[in-house]
Amino acid sequence: MEEFLKQFFDVGFMVDHFDEVLDGFWVTVQLSVISGALALVWGLILATLRQLPGKALLPVRFLTIAYIDVFRGVPLLLLILIIAGGIPALDFLPEWLRLPQWFGKPDSFWFGVLAITITYGAYMAEVYRSGIESVPGGQMEAARSLGMSHGQAMRSVILPQAVRKVIAPLLNDFIALTKDTTLVSFIALNEVTLVASDIQSETFNSSALTLGAIMFLVVTLPLARLVDKLIAREQGRFTRGAPRVEAL
Amino acid sequence: MESKGGAMLSLHGVCKRFDKLEVLRGVDLEIKRGEVVCVLGPSGSGKSTLLRCVNLLEPPEEGDIRLEERSICKGPGSGSGEQSWELDFVRQRVGIVFQQFNLFPHKSALQNVTLAQEKVLGRSTAEARKKGAKLLERVGLGDKLDEYPERLSGGQQQRVAIARALAMDPHVMLFDEVTSALDPELVKEVLDVMRELAEEGMTMIVVTHEIGFAREVADRVVFMDGGVIVEEGAPAQVLESPREERTKQFLGLVLER
Repeated sequence: MEEFLKQFFDVGFMVDHFDEVLDGFWVTVQLSVISGALALVWGLILATLRQLPGKALLPVRFLTIAYIDVFRGVPLLLLILIIAGGIPALDFLPEWLRLPQWFGKPDSFWFGVLAITITYGAYMAEVYRSGIESVPGGQMEAARSLGMSHGQAMRSVILPQAVRKVIAPLLNDFIALTKDTTLVSFIALNEVTLVASDIQSETFNSSALTLGAIMFLVVTLPLARLVDKLIAREQGRFTRGAPRVEAL
Repeated sequence: MESKGGAMLSLHGVCKRFDKLEVLRGVDLEIKRGEVVCVLGPSGSGKSTLLRCVNLLEPPEEGDIRLEERSICKGPGSGSGEQSWELDFVRQRVGIVFQQFNLFPHKSALQNVTLAQEKVLGRSTAEARKKGAKLLERVGLGDKLDEYPERLSGGQQQRVAIARALAMDPHVMLFDEVTSALDPELVKEVLDVMRELAEEGMTMIVVTHEIGFAREVADRVVFMDGGVIVEEGAPAQVLESPREERTKQFLGLVLER
């Protein structure tokens, strides 16, 4: 038992390596927030493109659906490796694109951001779509009958309602995204997993990894509770005065 | 009040089908400026589809619709889908009120009435709010400007919807069974608003099951069945002494209640 605790939960060891692991976790947080924000926006753009009306825009819808299908189907780790190994080899690109070092972050950070945004943009597009499709058709009709264009109706009437309905599932995806940032350790980004795993290889003690896990929980558990609250609130809206809201 | 004169809207041989189902099978109808026409008929007779054809929510497949003596179909070579219709011309002149209200639930009553004024007509916020408040006052909701739809009764919501359509200064108003989703005690407040509107000279097409309203307010009653107009005429004639057997049957069933 003592050996078990020493291997995984050595408090003294954790204290000794706390600053190192925290530095790594700070990189994880930055990676999560930047990729998460970009994926939220990119997903919304994809979902909007997917809903464009008319025959003329069929190719746009088709390409969008193809994109979403492909990148939901490809493992994130593969994409990370493809991007990080591939882009620097493209000699025709200028160096600031081939080996981006923006804002003092290494290229591996930005390749991670790109891969995560591509993948999670596809996931989030599907979440937005479910929200858009849950808005009753009468809303679009009412907006169009008042003379609004499809774009105006989307922006002012459909999306505000759709986004409100999907905040909880989007947050769920964000939690998953946060955990998936650990995959960027494969291309040598010194985020929490890589830092703690290096400590493990040097010391044969796993407590630094446990500490990393605890840091994740400190962030993800409150987010999970927030998701529950949002879902409860959304359901509350529909049970209070149900017929009237249903009628909308 | 404007005199009831020239043709505001005329339909010639309007046909509409959904896949194999023929909903409208050649409808001819002419509506004069300032006229109030009530459309009656059993469910599935094509009444609602007729209204939705007029404002192009469901563009017809055949036939011609003229609004203020201008065809709203651009004719061949103008593109596919929405491009082949005078969408803006129609939507700026024709307002519609739906059975299910379709208010924007994330907007207050006043915002429901101002949104399209600002986005479509380019009115300033102040101008749109002034107009919106005046219209809501007029439909008896001057004290509910900042309420959200979910806190309004069905009758109140429907009156907001009427104000929302009126805010666009339509020349024609379409009413699609606007009292059918309401509790009985809320029907009158909506019909009263429509009655006032008719008295002010608005051109209106009212699809309804309210025979009493049709008798009192309509200049003309149209009875539809099976996607065609079976009978039309003055309310007293159509409602009291219908010529057609189908009209008699229908009125018999409705008035029995």
